[in-house]
Amino acid sequence: MSVRKGLSALVGVSLLLAVLAHFNTSLGVAPYLLVLATSVLFWVIQATSWNLLSGYAGYFSFGQAAYVGVGAYAVAVLTGRHGVSYPVSIVVGGLLGALLALITGAIAFRLGSLRGEIFALLTLAVPFILAAFVRINRDIDGGLGTTLPLPAFPDWIGDFQHLIFLLMLAVATLAVGTALAVQGSRLGRGLSAIHDNEDAAEVLGVPTFRYKMIAIVLSGALGGLGGALLAVRNGAVQPELVFTLTVPLFVIVMAVLGGRRHWAGPVVGAAFVTVLQDELAALKLDQWGNIILGGVLVVFVVAAPDGLFGRLRARPWLTVGVFVPVLAGLVLSGQYTELDALLYAMVAAIVVAVVYDRLRPVAAPHRTTPAGAEPAGRTAPSPLSAPQPDSGRDLVAVAGVIRDFGGVRALDDVSLSVGQGEIVGLVGPNGSGKTTLVNLLSGALPPSAGTIAIDGRATVGLAPHKVAHTGVARTYQIPKPFASMTVLDNVAMAVMFGRTGASLPQARLAAADHLATVRLGHLGDQLPAALNLHQRQLLEMARAIAAEPVVLLLDEALAGLNPAEIDDAVAVIRRIHEGGISIIIVEHLLRVLNQLATRIVVLDRGVLIADGEPAAVLNDPAVVRAYLGRQRA
Amino acid sequence: MLRRVLGVLAATVMVAAGAACSSKQESSGGGTDQSPIVVGSTLSLTGAFAATGLIHKVAGEQYVERLNAAGGLLGRKVEWTVLDDQSDTAKVGPLYEQLIAQNKVDLIMGPYATPNILAAMAVAERHGYVLPQHTAVLAPQLSYPCQFPAWSIGPTPNQFIPNLLFDAVATLPTPPKKIAVLTSQSGSAAFVTDGLGDDKTGVLSIAKERGLDVVVDRHYPPTTSDWAGMAAEVRDAKPDLVISNSLGVDTVNALNAMKQLGYTPPKVFSLFPAPGPLLGLGAASEGALSVSIFEPNKPLVDKVGGDAQAIVDEFKTKATTAKVAFPVFETQAAASWNAWDILASGVKAAGSVDNKAICDGLHSKGADTTFSGHLSFDPKVNNFWPTTLGIKQIQNGEWVMVWPQDRAAAPIK
Amino acid sequence: MTAVQAALSGALIGGLYALMAAGLSVTWGTLRVINLAHFGLILVGAYLSYQLTSAWGIDPMLTLLVSAPVLFVVGAALQWAYDRFNIVEFNSLLVSFGLLMIIIEVSTQVWTADFRHIDAGANPYGTSALHLGPIALPVSRLVALGFALLLIGGGHLVLERTFAGRGLRAFAQDRTVAASFGIDHRRLGLVVGGLAGVSAAVAGMVFALGNTIAPAHAYEWFGTVFAVVILGGIGNLLGSLFAGLGVGAFSALVAVLWDPSYEPFVLFLAIILALVLRPQGLFTRRGLA
Repeated sequence: MSVRKGLSALVGVSLLLAVLAHFNTSLGVAPYLLVLATSVLFWVIQATSWNLLSGYAGYFSFGQAAYVGVGAYAVAVLTGRHGVSYPVSIVVGGLLGALLALITGAIAFRLGSLRGEIFALLTLAVPFILAAFVRINRDIDGGLGTTLPLPAFPDWIGDFQHLIFLLMLAVATLAVGTALAVQGSRLGRGLSAIHDNEDAAEVLGVPTFRYKMIAIVLSGALGGLGGALLAVRNGAVQPELVFTLTVPLFVIVMAVLGGRRHWAGPVVGAAFVTVLQDELAALKLDQWGNIILGGVLVVFVVAAPDGLFGRLRARPWLTVGVFVPVLAGLVLSGQYTELDALLYAMVAAIVVAVVYDRLRPVAAPHRTTPAGAEPAGRTAPSPLSAPQPDSGRDLVAVAGVIRDFGGVRALDDVSLSVGQGEIVGLVGPNGSGKTTLVNLLSGALPPSAGTIAIDGRATVGLAPHKVAHTGVARTYQIPKPFASMTVLDNVAMAVMFGRTGASLPQARLAAADHLATVRLGHLGDQLPAALNLHQRQLLEMARAIAAEPVVLLLDEALAGLNPAEIDDAVAVIRRIHEGGISIIIVEHLLRVLNQLATRIVVLDRGVLIADGEPAAVLNDPAVVRAYLGRQRA
Repeated sequence: MLRRVLGVLAATVMVAAGAACSSKQESSGGGTDQSPIVVGSTLSLTGAFAATGLIHKVAGEQYVERLNAAGGLLGRKVEWTVLDDQSDTAKVGPLYEQLIAQNKVDLIMGPYATPNILAAMAVAERHGYVLPQHTAVLAPQLSYPCQFPAWSIGPTPNQFIPNLLFDAVATLPTPPKKIAVLTSQSGSAAFVTDGLGDDKTGVLSIAKERGLDVVVDRHYPPTTSDWAGMAAEVRDAKPDLVISNSLGVDTVNALNAMKQLGYTPPKVFSLFPAPGPLLGLGAASEGALSVSIFEPNKPLVDKVGGDAQAIVDEFKTKATTAKVAFPVFETQAAASWNAWDILASGVKAAGSVDNKAICDGLHSKGADTTFSGHLSFDPKVNNFWPTTLGIKQIQNGEWVMVWPQDRAAAPIK
Repeated sequence: MTAVQAALSGALIGGLYALMAAGLSVTWGTLRVINLAHFGLILVGAYLSYQLTSAWGIDPMLTLLVSAPVLFVVGAALQWAYDRFNIVEFNSLLVSFGLLMIIIEVSTQVWTADFRHIDAGANPYGTSALHLGPIALPVSRLVALGFALLLIGGGHLVLERTFAGRGLRAFAQDRTVAASFGIDHRRLGLVVGGLAGVSAAVAGMVFALGNTIAPAHAYEWFGTVFAVVILGGIGNLLGSLFAGLGVGAFSALVAVLWDPSYEPFVLFLAIILALVLRPQGLFTRRGLA
């Protein structure tokens, strides 16, 4: 479903809901459904807001209460204490949420290391700080919470419940629409890549910092708007209303239970959990209500760890086929209210979808063919077709580069240039600084001193994705594929975010060519998990060349392969080289470099000790001493 | 595409379902004859407020039982629907909406704890329902004219309580001169210390007016778990009286922390403590002061007369069965009883369950309560009636009403 | 002098924070299970100590003879279940949140939502103190620190010095590699889960010595304990100990020198600052992943 179609469907559903709600009395819809639907919509807003960053990009946040809090307090202070009109204070609530998100993001995302648990704790701390701030500054809410006046609204809307439902519906539509649009956009693909592997995403040209900032600000704005509406609905605001653990915990429960990688996941999760909770409360089970809720949570997460929505979508007709008859049957039997019926129908559909998959697991993705199944790599390439080295034009110019880690000097005054059409082998014992040099070239690390230029453009100080756009691509020694995307899309990502950029459909076409270059074309629709090590190394290369680099950095791309696979990989590297890409290859196997490289550079303890023709360098006594001597020891 | 179909389908079926069910539900609320009068409320039966929520549940059930045994209201039985709000303020509003819109209850009763009462009040105001409530004393915030407090500290508790306390301790052989004030940053507690909004009157200002020396003034968040710092400060400041404007077990924790530093303050006042745990401290809490509207002391019970002794005894039995940790009919239960008395008086005055008529009836005729006598409500002061609040003290391991003298069961020590 | 007293008391109570954090930290760090149910186990540990002391009139510390084995089994069983259904990372957060809800509500059924505390008569540690001149060291807090040193120090030695400990750390780094070296992660996991349960029993007992217990406490511990776990470095036991003591002393000092109301404000701002400056945890050596 395209984004445009999805958005129009969403707006259509929203309008339908609005109309249904407006005529609820004449249609015979119980007024309480409106109250419950308002709660569901509030949680849809919050779960969707959370999911924009935490689901799509994988930055788990415990701080949702902060956005709800600033939104609610904007309304409490402006409208409750200073008589500002509701529309203004609600919008201000959204803006303050965005501002808070901007600050949080600016602090957290500046440092690449503030990921995972560290980011989670950072966000956990924010609501605590805000709650303390509100309590200390008694002028904010008078110290005791604030009561809000009844909003004035035109008569045609109906009663207050209609008003708050429509407001929630509007913001929920905005939230879900945003999530839907983001998911289908470049931003969404980029966030997904960040989720799977942020380092790889950045060196492929994804502007990770900017994308994360956009996601967190959208999340903050929507969370703040929702919080403002919560204040309006509740009619009174105290710290206890908004700064509770309930908000982040339930938001996480809803989004993860529903499914985090799709915009509809949080919607399904929010609807299911809210209706279930309401039903449990209405049954007057007291403690048993929470015990059942806890049990349902445990069972469903265990049964569908990737979210309920994925399971439902995998079997759409089964879902509808169970949901509709159960709902209709229960309602027509007259024994159940529409709410009970709705809940039981939801549970029935979910249970059937989950159990069905348990009994008949989705056909496992076709086992991958073993390595070398496509033996064409054996054909020896014609050496004549290789572009001739042209040292007249420096594609890579490294001058006087130093890199220190703490007190350790990993690279000491290294200068190096690579020209058009060269394959430069970079060798040296373990710890000699090879990978550090690769990291400096790709921009992952800044040098402590010295200059680096790619294709004539200085890259020191540029973000890695900008460095990538100057024409550098790299592979990782341990492949870092995007686990949630197919092999084809892994490569398409590199095209989309590469130097020229492209839309996803165009990128997929180009990606198919690049996959063919590394002879993985037949595995395009597989997930990376189904690939063996050799195939993953080839995928790394395909992804790297898809970025259309002028220089390709291969970091131990042959490590761990058997001899046949090595031959295969060497053939692929030659083919890439024939395509006009210069290559710097880090490798231990001197045999391979001897036949592949046009030049060999040797590092020892961070110092460049040799640079020249393979045969000459490998016979250089200093190299033999440094290299072999150390290896023997 | 499929999802769109699904969504529309679900929505359509919901509407059909609603239509199918609507006829069934119409009949539940509007009855005039012998159908029971349904009263709805939420209480915190689970979560942080559950300990006290349960007291209100037991007291309310007992009240309804006695009311029905005596023929109900307007010749109709009374039914009470209680939902669990799980101590979550955000759930209170929707649940009251559910009670009013879905269950079509005739009347409502307030929930427990101030934030929840404020949330319920917003719903009551939208629907024009009368809201009797047990425990919110933040008079300036409870502005809805049909909100009726069952526990009043008058319109200005921030003046009344400090004066009451300082008057009481002034009669001691050696009246305190140096006081330490510890304040929880939660609604009513901070109100009594610092006042509200532009009215800065409270314990601190009144202590200064009376020439008392405030040697410690600390505010702490409701989430405080470590009391060592405050305990050390109080110990080193050597006050004559520690005023703990707090809720729940804060005072118990603070006294424990002081004891751990080898210190017991000469005199302690605790604003709204959970009564049981404070008694459980034994010797450490002997002589501690607090506020109360009713204690089941013999002289007080006799003064109320009538069924008072029977109510107090029956409550003890029921509360013990319900595993209430401190099954004594004191302030909380008495407030609950008052709230139900107010509702019943209103219905009798109106002669119907019409909320507008009940509200008007209560304003014009007031309410007769078992434990606080006749109450009259003035909307100008948010219906907060002249208080009957007194000071109670732990004497020989029991709470005893000690102030003011005309209502005391024993003199203050 | 007040400040010195407060800082010392605070640091001692930090022993309790460290005890609460240790079990959470070690299962998170080595087994990749973020076990929110751990807070429930601490609660149950506290209630068991309360219950046994009240029922039998024995010394509260002796209740560990019952509660520690019980919670060892529960902790191991939880870990077995997490492993059996392959529940790690954020799914474990959800599943264990569900379990925590269940534990809290069952505790409420058994012990009611009311505040409980061990009778002063049965609790010789509740309010006694060691006096060093003007400084008083509360015995219940000394007990907290003592157990923290004992359990965390012991756990640290086991992790650093024994084959099983090294195996566990290898497992934390790379599951497949560790398996190929013949490390049976299931058995190790059960033991670690069980020991986390024991630490919960101890933390609960220590908590019950000096505090009133109510089911809602389990949620109130979240903020401080998570802060200690992450400041100390996830999976770093000694780090948890130092972070616990530091957080305890720092909070108490803010309360005395400024005002208790500023405590969460300053503490969590300091935590953000610490994370930004040393994101790998305050007490993790650089280069150790």
